[in-house]
Amino acid sequence: MTLAVYVSRCAGRVDATVDVESALAGIEERAAVVRVVDDLFDPAVGEQIVSDVAESGIDAVVLAGHSVDHYTKSLSGGYLEERLVSAGVNPNRIVVANLLEQVALAHPDDPAGATTKAAAMLEVAALCAETNPPVEGIESEPKRSVLVLGVTAEALVAAQRLLNLGFSVTVADRGAGSERVARRPTSLRATASFVRSHPAVRFVDHASLVDGDGWLGDYRVVLDSTDGRTTCHVGGILLARPDDPAWVEELRRHYRVDIDEDGRARSIDPMRHPAETVDPGIMVVPTRSDDVLERDVVAAADSAAMAFMLKLSQPRTVHFQDTSAVDETLCGGCATCVRTCAFGACSLDENGVSHVDLRRCRGCGKCVVSCPVGARDIVSSPHDYLLGAVRSLARVPVDGDRVLGFLCGGCGYPAADAAAAFVGERGSGYPAAFFPVRIPCGGRLDTLYVLEAFKAGFDGVCVYRCREGHCHNLIGNLDMDRRINLLRAVLRSREIDDARLRIVDISPFEGDRFVESVEGVFDSLATLAGAKGGAS
Amino acid sequence: MSKPTLVTVSLGGCEGCHVSLLDAHEGLLDLLGKVELLASPFSGPAEMPAHADVVMVEGAVTTDEDLERLEAARAAAGTLVAIGSCAVLGGIGGLRNLTRLPEVTGRAFGPAEKSDLLPQLLPQVHPVTDFVDVDITVPGCAPETPLIVAALSAAVAGEPYEQPRRNLCDECHREKKAMLTHSAEFVSDNVYALMELEAIDAETCLLEQGVMCMGPMTREGCGAKCTAANVPCRGCSGPSRLDFEQGGKTVDALAAVLPAGALMFLEDLVGTGYRYSLPVSVFPAIHTSKEADDA
Repeated sequence: MTLAVYVSRCAGRVDATVDVESALAGIEERAAVVRVVDDLFDPAVGEQIVSDVAESGIDAVVLAGHSVDHYTKSLSGGYLEERLVSAGVNPNRIVVANLLEQVALAHPDDPAGATTKAAAMLEVAALCAETNPPVEGIESEPKRSVLVLGVTAEALVAAQRLLNLGFSVTVADRGAGSERVARRPTSLRATASFVRSHPAVRFVDHASLVDGDGWLGDYRVVLDSTDGRTTCHVGGILLARPDDPAWVEELRRHYRVDIDEDGRARSIDPMRHPAETVDPGIMVVPTRSDDVLERDVVAAADSAAMAFMLKLSQPRTVHFQDTSAVDETLCGGCATCVRTCAFGACSLDENGVSHVDLRRCRGCGKCVVSCPVGARDIVSSPHDYLLGAVRSLARVPVDGDRVLGFLCGGCGYPAADAAAAFVGERGSGYPAAFFPVRIPCGGRLDTLYVLEAFKAGFDGVCVYRCREGHCHNLIGNLDMDRRINLLRAVLRSREIDDARLRIVDISPFEGDRFVESVEGVFDSLATLAGAKGGAS
Repeated sequence: MSKPTLVTVSLGGCEGCHVSLLDAHEGLLDLLGKVELLASPFSGPAEMPAHADVVMVEGAVTTDEDLERLEAARAAAGTLVAIGSCAVLGGIGGLRNLTRLPEVTGRAFGPAEKSDLLPQLLPQVHPVTDFVDVDITVPGCAPETPLIVAALSAAVAGEPYEQPRRNLCDECHREKKAMLTHSAEFVSDNVYALMELEAIDAETCLLEQGVMCMGPMTREGCGAKCTAANVPCRGCSGPSRLDFEQGGKTVDALAAVLPAGALMFLEDLVGTGYRYSLPVSVFPAIHTSKEADDA
C-alpha cells in the first residue's frame, strides 16, 4: 500500500494551535508522499495530487484538515475525491482526518495536547485508508425522472423547471393534489397550467408510500392510491411537504432522511444547503413560515431542481455499497441480521445463508454487529479498522485520564464539529485526551470495541447516539442502547465500574452539549476509585 | 515401519472428553489399530515419554502441575491436539475467574490450610493456548465422539483437520418464522426458562419461543443434539471465531431479538454468554488495572 497524506493548514486555522511539523513526524515514516498546503481546494493542489498519484503509484490517501462533513455536505465538496478517483485511487481508500474542527479548534488553549492528538488522528486515518477494502461502484444511467411528494408551490415550480429540462415528473399528493393544481389562485397560475398540461407529468392523488428501494439515479417507489398501486422508477425524489409527518415517516422507512427537532424532514445543512439530504438523490424544500416570500419559495424549488439537473444529467451515476458480501463459510443462517435490519434488506437465500438486497441496504452496520460469527462487514469502517483505531488511540501518550468517544456520523460527529464554534466563543477547549472515532451509526457499535477500549487502556468510553426517533436508520440508536446497557453487567463482572461507560444522546447542532458531555465524563472519572486526575 | 505413537493427557477438567472418545466403542479399535498408545488415563498413571507423534490434551490449565504437564506434553508432541472446551476455551471451570483466588479456595476447601503436596491453584483458569502452540483444536463439552476420532485420525495420519466454522443454527432442525421477518419488535414478549413454557414447540426456533438459546453464538459440529431434544444450546463449543468473544456477541446478537429488559434481569447473563469461554474473552478474569498492580 502506498500512502499519500495531504495536510491542509485551513488558511492558518490548523497551525494556529497544532505544530504541524511535529504532528507529521510519525506519519512521514509511513507515507510515500506528505504535503502540507494552505488549502486543499486550491486548484494547484488538485493538480499536484493527481500528479503524485501518477508518479508515486498512490493507492491510499489521507486528506487532513476539515471535517469529513465538509466534503460530503455540498454539491462540490466531492470535487477532490472525484479527481482522485479519476486518477485511479479507490474511493474507499480516500479518508479524511479531522484536524480542524475536532482538534485545532477544539483545543485552542492546549497546543501540545492538540499536536499529539493531530498525530494520532493522522495515524488512525492512515490505518483506515490502508485497511479499507477497495469497493466497486454500481453504475447506472440515471433516470431523468423525479417523483415529487406533496402538491405545494415549491413542487409546482420545481416540476416546471424539470419538465422544461426534459425530465418526466410524477406528483403524488396525500389529498386531491391534481384538483388543487387546477384551482391554483393567481399566484403561480401560469406555472400550474404549464405543469398540468405537460405530457410528461403524472398525478397520483390520495397517495401513500408503501415500499421503496434504490439510490440516486435509480429509485423504485411504490405508491398506493385510490386508483390502486403504482410503482415509479425515478432518478430522484423531491419531498415538497417536509412538514407532513405521514410522508416523512413513510419515506424514512425505506430511505435515509434526517429530521429536525419538530420531526420535519431537513436538509443536510439547512443554513447552507437547503435542498440536499443525506441521501444524494432525495431533495427537500425548507419548511416555510407563514410570511414566506414567493421569491424564497421559487429559490427553494430552483435549488432542488438544479441539484436534480446536475446529478441526473450525468451520463452515469455510481453507487458505492457500504456492506460487504457475507462469508458463507461462517454464516449458519441464524437470521439475527434478518430480524434486526430495519430496512428489510437481509434475508436468507435458498441455502440458508444471509443475503443483502443491495437496493434496500442503507449501510448502517446493524446486521454486522448483530452477526454473532462476524460473517459480514461495513466496508467504509471495517472491523479491523475500528479495532485497530481503538488500540492505536490507546497508545497515544496523555497525562491523566484518557477517554474514547464513539461518534455516530448522524449526530455525535457533526455535534463535535459544531463544538468548535462553541469553544471559539468560550475561548477554552475541552480535554484533548478525548479521542473521537466516527462510526456510521450507533447501531454499528460492537460491544467488542468497548471492551477492547477498556482493555487497551482507556479510562472512560463515551458513545454518542441520536435522540429517540431521530436515527436515520430508524432504531440504530435504540439497539445500541440495549447492547451497551446489557454490556454493563459484563463490565461489572470484571470489576470495571460501569460508570466509566456513558451513553449521550445528542443532536447534530448541539456543540455546547457536546462539550458539556465530554467535560462531564472527565469530571466523573475524577471521582471514581483509582482516578488519575489531571486531565480536566 | 512402526506405528505412530499416541499419548492422551488430562489436565484440569472432568475427563468427559476421554469418556467421549471411549464412546467410539468398536471404532476405538480402528483408531488403536493405527497407533501405539504410550500413555493415557485409560492405562493408569504413566510418565510423559520424551517423544510421541501425537499428544491429545484434555482440560484447562488450573494448577501449577497442569502447566508442568502441559509443557512436557508440548515438548514431547509432534502434533498437539487440544480436545474439549476446557483445553481450547478454558471451559466451564473458567467461570471461577470472576472470583478472586482466596475466595475460591475459601469456598471450595474452607478455612483450613491446604497441603503443599497438592498442586497449587493458579490465580485464574487458562486454556492451553495461553501457554503453548496447539496444532489441532476441537472445542465442545464434551466434543461429540466422531469429532474427536476425526481429529485424532487426521493427526495420526499427518493430515490437516478443519473444524466446522458456522454457527449452530446451520445444523439445527428447527424452523425459523418470526426471525425471517424484519421488525423493530422482539420475537418474544419475555425470556422464559424451559419449565416456564406451557408447551415446547419441537419444530420452531427456541429463540422465537422466548428461550435463551446460545445457538447463534456457538460453533456447530455437535449436530445440534440439544435443540433436537428440546433443550436450548448452552454454547459449549464456544464461538466460531475466537476474535469475536461469545459473551459480547450474545449481547450484540440477542439485544434486538429477545426483550432486552428481560435479558438484563436474567439470573446470570454473564454466566450464560461466557459459560464455556470466559478465559478466552477480552477480559479473561477480573480486571486489575496496571495502577492497581503497582499500588
